[in-house]
Amino acid sequence: MALISRGRWWPILCVGIAVTILAVYILLVASNWIYLGWHDTVYFFSKSRMWERFWLTVWTSTVSTFFSLFIGIPAGYALSRFRFPCRYAIASVIDLPIVVSPAVVGAFLFGITTRFPFDWISEYYGVYIGRNVYGVLLVQFTVTAAFCARLMKASFDIIPVRFESVSRSLGASPMRTFFKVVLPMAKNGIVASMIVVWARAAAEWEGLMLFVGATEGKTDIMPFAIYLDWNGGMMGWVTSMSIVCILMAVSAISAMRLIGGRSNVW
Amino acid sequence: MKTVKYVLFFVIAFCFTLSSQAFGGEKALLFHAGLGQRGALNEVKEIFEKKNPEIKVNFSYKGSGYFIADITRSKQGDLFMPGEEFYLMQAVERGFLTSYNPETDIPAHFVTVIITPAGNPKNIKCIEDFAKPGVRVGLGNPKSCAVGIWHQKTFEKAGIWDKVKKNATLSAKCIPELGNAAQHRAIDGSIVWGTTAVLYLRDVDIIPIEHQYRGIIRLPVGVLKFARYKEEAQQLMDYILSDEGRAIFHKHAYAINSVIPVDKDGFCLDGTTDKDMEYLVNAAKAVKDESFPVNKDTVGALIEEVERQRKTVRAGD
Amino acid sequence: MSGKKSSRKTFNAVFYSFAGFLFLYSAYLFLSNIDQLFVTKAAIETREITAVWGDDREVLNQFAGGFWKDPYFWKSLNLTVVTTLITTLIAAILGIPTAYALSRYRIPGMSFIETLFSSLIVMPGSVIGICLIVMFNYGPLWKLQNALGFKFAHSLFPGMVIASLVLSFALGLSAWKAAFDSVNPRFEQVARSLGSSRWRAFRTVTFPLAKSGIVAGIILAWTRAMAEFSAVLFFCGTFHELPPSRFSNFTKFMQMDQADWVSVAVWAQVEFGNIEYGFALAFVLVLIGGMSVYVMHRIGAKGFVW
Repeated sequence: MALISRGRWWPILCVGIAVTILAVYILLVASNWIYLGWHDTVYFFSKSRMWERFWLTVWTSTVSTFFSLFIGIPAGYALSRFRFPCRYAIASVIDLPIVVSPAVVGAFLFGITTRFPFDWISEYYGVYIGRNVYGVLLVQFTVTAAFCARLMKASFDIIPVRFESVSRSLGASPMRTFFKVVLPMAKNGIVASMIVVWARAAAEWEGLMLFVGATEGKTDIMPFAIYLDWNGGMMGWVTSMSIVCILMAVSAISAMRLIGGRSNVW
Repeated sequence: MKTVKYVLFFVIAFCFTLSSQAFGGEKALLFHAGLGQRGALNEVKEIFEKKNPEIKVNFSYKGSGYFIADITRSKQGDLFMPGEEFYLMQAVERGFLTSYNPETDIPAHFVTVIITPAGNPKNIKCIEDFAKPGVRVGLGNPKSCAVGIWHQKTFEKAGIWDKVKKNATLSAKCIPELGNAAQHRAIDGSIVWGTTAVLYLRDVDIIPIEHQYRGIIRLPVGVLKFARYKEEAQQLMDYILSDEGRAIFHKHAYAINSVIPVDKDGFCLDGTTDKDMEYLVNAAKAVKDESFPVNKDTVGALIEEVERQRKTVRAGD
Repeated sequence: MSGKKSSRKTFNAVFYSFAGFLFLYSAYLFLSNIDQLFVTKAAIETREITAVWGDDREVLNQFAGGFWKDPYFWKSLNLTVVTTLITTLIAAILGIPTAYALSRYRIPGMSFIETLFSSLIVMPGSVIGICLIVMFNYGPLWKLQNALGFKFAHSLFPGMVIASLVLSFALGLSAWKAAFDSVNPRFEQVARSLGSSRWRAFRTVTFPLAKSGIVAGIILAWTRAMAEFSAVLFFCGTFHELPPSRFSNFTKFMQMDQADWVSVAVWAQVEFGNIEYGFALAFVLVLIGGMSVYVMHRIGAKGFVW
């Protein structure tokens, strides 16, 4: 009775739910290990096929993160500082590739590659765009560029505008202000966001399924290889690779937290 | 500013290396193949690429039914190997193939078997058991995968199609989906190719089907007329049809007897494939039971497959 | 003076052009596919080849695959929207107290918990799907399901709710936690020192202050649930071709039988060559996603990755 009258049940309820959900999530993430067992974990992790795919994932997502940052940092700054008509509508269009289902993005890429810049490239060089590793980079870029701009906007939003106006009133050009004042101040946020963008690129696979297709050792970055091996009945590979993916995601987020930058989604 | 310049320089240099890599001179074949043939074809690719270093083979694995749509629209690809002659004939009718000879262009045959989760919980022993109420059956969707056609054919021949349809709990878009469902105990039984069943030796039970319902499925291969490298594609096709290529298929539980007597619907007439079925059942026993002897007499050409799956508790490699 | 102005102009032009590039790329990506809605000769030819299986070709050969005439489309949309609403409701009921606990109370291993939840946001959907399958089909949960005589995997309900809940909860939680973090705990302390109970302090002080953040989190969770694809594909599969007898009377009454998750349906239709139909479904998803993200921008929501 005392419990109810003083509202003590509320914190108990909150903490109870939190702990229960935490337990479920830990079980969810750890179930792969329990399923795989120690002996198999050692076996699969010592195979070269695992590490080849790991490096493929790492380099493709690094390259596409690079391109995304190149576009995303200035775009994020523009979205954060400039005021223009239909701002929200335009920002929504930029955000579309991350809010719609990635499979839909894959379907749309399937259509766009038969159009202007892409059909020209594929005709000129005689390559099938979308059936090789460049398709992987294109899918990753499409999703992460928008994601990157969004994270960058949030990073720049945190920095007060005052510093810029002070710098400019002291005679610095806007370009100089951006590189000497804004970028150094946003450094932590940018590095943190970069890691998140990298992890997001490494997690992209639904687009690949519709748009790229599988070539052993060439386009099967890890999350996609999970789908392919799942269809080959190789549960050992599937679970050991999902352990690697989980470790990649967790270590990326831990690295971000160590750096101490904040990166907001919305 | 300086760092920015360095970064820009790095980006440009990287783009150049990438593009030079991309448009270098190797000949890449695009091979449309059904998902069920993945294991054997990956091995074929490895050996073929070693023999012909200038040719690279890229696969596009899907459920067989999806290829017609893909090929009609994209008009890309060099070779075509769906899991059923039916799908290839559709392409032949549209004139997508340069030439197709039904007598010679068959590297191997699939044989249908029953798979159930390990331990066979619903005690399925023959085709008729699928009609029992309460059995969860996985069926293929004929629109997208070859095995769906055979489910309908087989159960219609046994006269239980309506009852089996009522038992269906899973509509698969490609044949490995049925294997996975049996492995994870989501269904109580299904009919799949022997080559699919052999991937799940540790987690499923394999039951051979009696002759009158045992389907023999011709696995065709053909060169597409849009092929960019016709000669190389023909070279790969010849390799697949050679004895060496067939032997690789045999290792993955395909039947490679050149003559298997069948009736007009494609059902088996005599015991030509009995030996293969026996090997398959023994292989399933051997993987689950360490003491089971593994040699040429018990598991035939499946030795490598059995040894591969014995290495780990969960299938891989 | 004029030099200063022109440098300002170039600066703006450079930055606008980058944002403009992203905008044009995104707009081009979505708009250039509108012509996929029109039926091409190749598509009609494809359907002639696959006519053996008796699709309604008359309807499918219309603009956008005639999707509004197809009960499958309406059932799928119904199924997806209802399921995601249930998912969001469960996520909110569980997530708001959790976020409050994580934001207010000192729980040991806090950084570990936050890392776990935020890493889920960047985890591939296929991994989530595999984890769900392995978790529910092996070990204690499998025995529990056997005892209950009911299987979670490959079921319409609750399979789909579970599959979409995992990620939408994780994303919603981050937003709700950010909302509570932005409310000064002093207000609550003042309310409690004036004699109100903990629950009352939460209900009358903190909750109203964090309201806009909570609404944003709900929208975020719902959008994420709508965008779910791989977890549903791995954990539930498709239901379109199953016989009517497999569905309970309740699902039939709710008009959810023989329907698929919309994004899975997009994949299945495009792969099968009903491109117009698949793209029509995709554009429906784009419209829904665009609307919810626009609302999110208007609210000015903030959700942290961790």
